[in-house]
Amino acid sequence: MWAQQARRALLRGPSAHRQVAPDQSAAGGIVPLLQAEAITKHFGNVFAVEDVTFRVGDGEIVAVVGPNGAGKSTLLKMIAGLERPTSGQVRLAGRLVHARVPHQVRRQGISIVMQTPLTFTSMTVLDNATLGAMFGPGHGVLTERRARQRAADSLAFVGLAQRADDPVASLNLHQQRFLELAKALAGGPRLLLLDEVMAGLNETEIAASVQIVRSVRDELGVTILWVEHVMSAVIELAERVIVLNFGKVLAEGTPKAVMRHPEVIDAYLGKAHIA
Amino acid sequence: MTSGPLPRRLGTVVAGGRGRAFLPVVGAAAVILVIPQIWFAGSEYTTGLAVQALEFAAYAVGFNLIFGSTNQLFLCVGALAGLGGYATGILSDHASLPIWVGIAVGTAVAAGVGGLLSWIAVRRSLGVIFTGIVTLAFSLGFQDLLLGQEHLTGGSTGQVVNGAAVSLADTRLGGYYLFAAVVIAFLVVFRVLQISHVGWAFRALRDDETAAELAGVNVARYRIYAALVGSAMIGLTGALYAYSDGFISPPVFAFDQIDVKVLVLVAFGGLGTLLGPLIGAVVFAFVDNALVNSGQVRELIYGAIVVVIFLSFRGGFVPAVVNLAGGLARQRPAQGE
Repeated sequence: MWAQQARRALLRGPSAHRQVAPDQSAAGGIVPLLQAEAITKHFGNVFAVEDVTFRVGDGEIVAVVGPNGAGKSTLLKMIAGLERPTSGQVRLAGRLVHARVPHQVRRQGISIVMQTPLTFTSMTVLDNATLGAMFGPGHGVLTERRARQRAADSLAFVGLAQRADDPVASLNLHQQRFLELAKALAGGPRLLLLDEVMAGLNETEIAASVQIVRSVRDELGVTILWVEHVMSAVIELAERVIVLNFGKVLAEGTPKAVMRHPEVIDAYLGKAHIA
Repeated sequence: MTSGPLPRRLGTVVAGGRGRAFLPVVGAAAVILVIPQIWFAGSEYTTGLAVQALEFAAYAVGFNLIFGSTNQLFLCVGALAGLGGYATGILSDHASLPIWVGIAVGTAVAAGVGGLLSWIAVRRSLGVIFTGIVTLAFSLGFQDLLLGQEHLTGGSTGQVVNGAAVSLADTRLGGYYLFAAVVIAFLVVFRVLQISHVGWAFRALRDDETAAELAGVNVARYRIYAALVGSAMIGLTGALYAYSDGFISPPVFAFDQIDVKVLVLVAFGGLGTLLGPLIGAVVFAFVDNALVNSGQVRELIYGAIVVVIFLSFRGGFVPAVVNLAGGLARQRPAQGE
């Protein structure tokens, strides 16, 4: 038990202990970890995301759902620094993040796991996770020894410890996503962005993924903002759901409440279904 | 479980202790320092070839750091070397400064220009090909500058370098040990970078830039680091060429005289590898010598070699042979069982 606790403490690492000055001006004095204020993204004349405002509390699991092309992935990419918003603001614990580039966003405490894993294919599984730890949030650059320790712990957390010395190419899609998760966790993030990480998985793999994502929040205290199409997983795991359609927020609430929302049913299944 | 080719283990060299990481450098240094005594010390011609090999090895280590480690195709190795060489020549000749001041300034100017080119490439998000085009344009412009500023550079006639160690060129062996020391020092620097977090960043951004950024690597910063250090190496080599040879002219630093050859030998020896440039330079010096009477066909052969290597041996010809030999060696015990 003590070893497990030590591992969790190590994984939580510097980000868990970092004190970020709270934004006292926030309504009610309670500071959400993530605030997106009226963020908009145009690609030419196309509005991918339009005037989206939402908040994610510290320790929450919030899912973003919506039909294809609703702007979900663009939203995550803007938070991760991969896309720059046309207008609006994104703040993490009161500090602006939207104008930064990905490595700065990462160092501020936000990690992303993409639908298509972005692994370093010429390296081993352990080396991939080591890179995630070495240049992780807030702590400058870790020594190789410490980075390897954190990497080994994060691989153990996601169940890939036995594959540490294997080449990344030998992992299947499901395992590569877990490796991406390990790489993200090795840096000790405060907020984890998950972009359709359950797409293309079978039921067993989805169940395993749900379990791991829950553990990330429950055991490591990492807040999760999660774009997903697999609604069974969303209903099981998410505490709050934001529905996007045509780049705008259509509904927000608990999974069950949102799924009963007429406009959500309309967006997913068409007006005829409601009638 | 691991059926495919083994990936590069970044930590392998460190896992065995930092001292062991330098064993290849120590081995290479021993061979470089001992080989004249047991092979060519008596032959001025062969010594001259060996000096040329080491000079190109030094250029190649710098180029390898920039292109092999960070994917920046700098087609201006000759121009950067020329900056080092001409700064040395001009400061010693026109400003009557001590030769070492010229060498230091030449090295710094080359580093600054290389860093500036990298900064432009980063700011403009230039890919490999466009970085190559921009640096090639700089390279061609630099040749015109040398020819045009005749009062400073001597134009096409060239320039004698005041204070040069002509005795090094006379005995040849002195020049050999000068460039031997330079190559060994460059290999040490390259290895130090490889085993530090900088090496991890280089490998990451070479593998996948977006993945590197998302892992927290400041890709732009590490690219500029590589360009600064690699360009300083190239500039220093050019300055020491001027110092040891005592005479410089535009063709000495021309694109076809430096860049084409450096590209061939780095591609042959292995991009991003520690000893690849050295092995490539040694092999290339003797191949180049064998083709010395081939005229224009020689350039054609070099072009063909680059095409074949980039099409069939992306990691370099030497690493491909080493991997093949390793694979055969692993198969033999398996067959024995």
